Amino acid sequence: MVRPRPILVALAALLVVGVAALGLERFPPPEFETDYVRPTTTAPNPPQGVWEYVDAGVLAVTLVLATVLVLRTRNRKLIFTLMLFCLAYFGFFRDGCVCPIGAIQNVTLTAFDPGYAIPLAVLIFFALPLVFTLFFGRVFCGAVCPLGAIQDAVLIHPVRVPRWLESGLRLIAYLYLGAGVLFAAMGAMFIICRYDPFVGFFRLSGNWEILVFGGCLLLIGMFVGRPYCRFLCPYGVILRQLSRLSRWRVTITPTDCIQCRLCEDACPFGAIRKPTEPWPDKEYKVARRRLAFLLVLLPVLIGAGGWGGYELRQWLALVHPEVRLAQRIYLEENALVEGTTDASDAFRALGRSSDELYAAATQLRDRFGLGGTLLGAFVGCVIGGKLLTLSVKRRRADYEPDPASCLACGRCYAYCPKEHERLKRGREGLIRH
Amino acid sequence: MNEPSVAYRTVRTTAKVAGTFTVLFLVLLVGNLIGTTVIGPLREDRLAAMKVALRGGDPTDEQLAEIRQLDLQIRRNRVWRLDFAHKTGHALLASVVVLLVAGRLMRVLNRRPPQPQNALDVGAEQLREARVSRWAVTAGLVVLGGGAAMLVMVGAPLAFVAAEETGPAYASREDKRLQWHRFRGPDGAGVSIFTNIPTEWDGATGKGILWKAAVPLPGNNSPIIWNDRVFLSGATEQKQEVYCYDADLGRLLWTGDVPISPAAAQARIDPMEDTGYAASTMATDGKRVYAIFVTGDIAAFDFNGRRLWYKSLGVPDNAYGYASSLETHQDRVIVQYDQGHGDEDVSRLYALDGASGRVVWEVKRDVPNSWTSPVVVEIEGRLQLLTLTDPWALANDPADGAEIWRADCLGGDVAPSAIYAGGLVLAIEPYSHMVAIKPTGQGDVTKTHIAWTMDEGGPDVCCPVSDGQYAYLLESHGLIMCCRLADGEKVYEHDLRDNFTASPSLAGGRLYFLGMDGVMTIAEAGPEYKELGKNELGEKCHASPAFVDGRIYIRGLENLYCIGGAVAGDRAD
Ligand code: SF4
Ligand code: SF4
Repeated sequence: MVRPRPILVALAALLVVGVAALGLERFPPPEFETDYVRPTTTAPNPPQGVWEYVDAGVLAVTLVLATVLVLRTRNRKLIFTLMLFCLAYFGFFRDGCVCPIGAIQNVTLTAFDPGYAIPLAVLIFFALPLVFTLFFGRVFCGAVCPLGAIQDAVLIHPVRVPRWLESGLRLIAYLYLGAGVLFAAMGAMFIICRYDPFVGFFRLSGNWEILVFGGCLLLIGMFVGRPYCRFLCPYGVILRQLSRLSRWRVTITPTDCIQCRLCEDACPFGAIRKPTEPWPDKEYKVARRRLAFLLVLLPVLIGAGGWGGYELRQWLALVHPEVRLAQRIYLEENALVEGTTDASDAFRALGRSSDELYAAATQLRDRFGLGGTLLGAFVGCVIGGKLLTLSVKRRRADYEPDPASCLACGRCYAYCPKEHERLKRGREGLIRH
Repeated sequence: MNEPSVAYRTVRTTAKVAGTFTVLFLVLLVGNLIGTTVIGPLREDRLAAMKVALRGGDPTDEQLAEIRQLDLQIRRNRVWRLDFAHKTGHALLASVVVLLVAGRLMRVLNRRPPQPQNALDVGAEQLREARVSRWAVTAGLVVLGGGAAMLVMVGAPLAFVAAEETGPAYASREDKRLQWHRFRGPDGAGVSIFTNIPTEWDGATGKGILWKAAVPLPGNNSPIIWNDRVFLSGATEQKQEVYCYDADLGRLLWTGDVPISPAAAQARIDPMEDTGYAASTMATDGKRVYAIFVTGDIAAFDFNGRRLWYKSLGVPDNAYGYASSLETHQDRVIVQYDQGHGDEDVSRLYALDGASGRVVWEVKRDVPNSWTSPVVVEIEGRLQLLTLTDPWALANDPADGAEIWRADCLGGDVAPSAIYAGGLVLAIEPYSHMVAIKPTGQGDVTKTHIAWTMDEGGPDVCCPVSDGQYAYLLESHGLIMCCRLADGEKVYEHDLRDNFTASPSLAGGRLYFLGMDGVMTIAEAGPEYKELGKNELGEKCHASPAFVDGRIYIRGLENLYCIGGAVAGDRAD
């Protein structure tokens, strides 16, 4: 059920926290009119030698621990404790950087820019959670990711988000992933890091806009379980797909499901799926036709998306600082704006010709034509694919977590009577020995 | 109901206390924010004002002390507020943490066993869920698609690359002869090669009028025609627009917006009423249309209304308001930008790249503001760009702007533009004389190439028109003067008893004089004045009409009229 009251309370609180974050603003940051990106939130810290490897080591150990706690020990309290540790360590102690989510961009940039060498630690951070997810489900999300942890920690009164809303909102994450990859490939910016909503909290500083954004997410997160993870996280998009393939993953019951339905509402993230019922006969016919239609629609959506992305190339290109500079210089040269900016002054001081800049920016714009086409096609593919998956019949005999959506938090275990039996047997076994 | 346990009550009280503190800290932070953003700047403004007041003067010790005192206060206050915000922020964080922990504990202590609701029809429920989800995803698709479509429609934000996509093509001079691509048509001569131009219409009954369409913003510029499109511009102090009409139906096809440049907005240009904000007639090269306004803001559009570029040439220093019309040469747009008093080095002749708006060449001119329009004409196989200013009649090479010849023959506020007829360039100095120059010289030809001077006066606004034998001049109070081209001798004079700002035109051997009251007098060209008729439009007219293939396009003060048949008629050639 969606209960309106908590949502209203959350909205009211959003307002207050927004204002409060304004109040927390320190000296205003310098006004760079050209959207100068303040480096605190964009770039990974400079190599810190041994710390990087310590981090990678801690990541490996915590992932192993998380796997054991989620799949073997099945103990929510221990999972929660590990999660708090990771929040403290990766979040507050290590300033939320390196994180696997942002590492998507480093990996992308490595693929597209031969001049960029990805640090080994970043690569480990990117790959290790993927490997674990491929084998054990999203144990990284459940206990290790500091972004997930901070949201999990504030969740006090979960409300159920209807499935349709969840399906619609999740598209944002795909779009975000696509945009993050595109902009990183173009060397335009690390958008995922720039808009990381929680890093400001980890560092207790940052742009007030981001702090407000993060504050809002946390407030929503008091009632809607892990909104960033479910609707925004681009890494989560990858983890979802890998988790579907995982060999071992969370099950609500340690043995077999007796269909007592006690766990039905246990998951604050809406990940528990009920056993499916057979469809009425006439539904099969309709479904077949729909499926055929959607199969035809899929390439159309991909094509239309690609075309739309191409048409948007100028807008996309504006994300690139070089293109923005060219635009600014053009406006200044043609008296369409007054004054200059730090960036345009610096450009002139370098003595580069504006024609050269326009040519470079035009070339970039053309590259965005290709990038935009691919991004658009990807989005079309995601939407078409989503419509398809929503149109096929699933077979499920028991109550079980959806492997893609389950964040391996371990909350549902305690709802299962079979789990209680298992624990009891364990205790008895202990006593007997 | 059971009494809540002691533990639960304790946690609840903790939560309440933490909640109260949270609210308190929030209020304090908001107060601090108001202090920093509202009160702080007030003081800073005062300080700035005090500093400005001191500038240039000789401050007394007390004044200096006061400024220092205020400055110190501001700094102290800012540091204090910063410190306060920091401490309160941390306290807020702590209270939120306590609140969260207490909230969680309350939930744990008050945990109720799960109570599954009665299962409804699970199968139907799952089908419904899937269906609604599909709609939600479709809605997402619509939102994304709509957003993208809107951005695409808003148009290319990148000014410096947008233009190059239309390609370099432009219409030839031969193509232009069949159109009315600029002020007064081909060569700016006011002569149409079509012989099938209408001679009878009546605004009151609608007879002979194909269509009439309202023009959104006022402007004294003339319509220009390219195939099935009519273009004109309109502007006010706040808005500058370009309009494209369907030539056959009179439908407004699109409106193009030309932003007012910051410099022009700041300068608050106030042109003379007779000039208005959109006096300059547009021009087209057959692929793009160009418009310039009294602000010096110039823009290019493609035929579909997409703005390709726009720029400001700087706010013109012009006594009555900038009014020169545009000319095109190949894929360039020619701008005569005369301004100032002649000694400030601000007048220019520009050729801008039609695709990008970049300056291809520019010529500095030591001339004051003028109101004439440039024309590119072909003289003995060579193209010359003719302009009239005070005191020069000038010819430049449209390819690179190099000067070919100049003649010192004009003075005062020059407004009628040059025409080339019968091997002569005709230039008029208002109220004074008309000069005929042989355009075959080089350098200063004042002493060598003036064929004749007719010094019985000259129009102050209207350009002359010629059939190759005679030149016809029209003064703004209605006097027609006909002179022989060969020697400048006056052949006849006739008073039309009307007022004119539209220049006379010639089509099919007939002269067309459009009066300010909207009455078009038609007369036969030749050594005698022979009136063929008068037609009333019923609306005041300031702009020169356009003549193309069986039609006349007239801009009234509020409406655009197309006079002629639904199907364009036969051609003269
Ligand atoms: S979904 Fe993303 S943010 Fe959430 S826990 Fe997983 S990786 Fe972290
Ligand atoms: S472990 Fe259980 S409660 Fe946690 S996300 Fe997965 S299904 Fe939901």
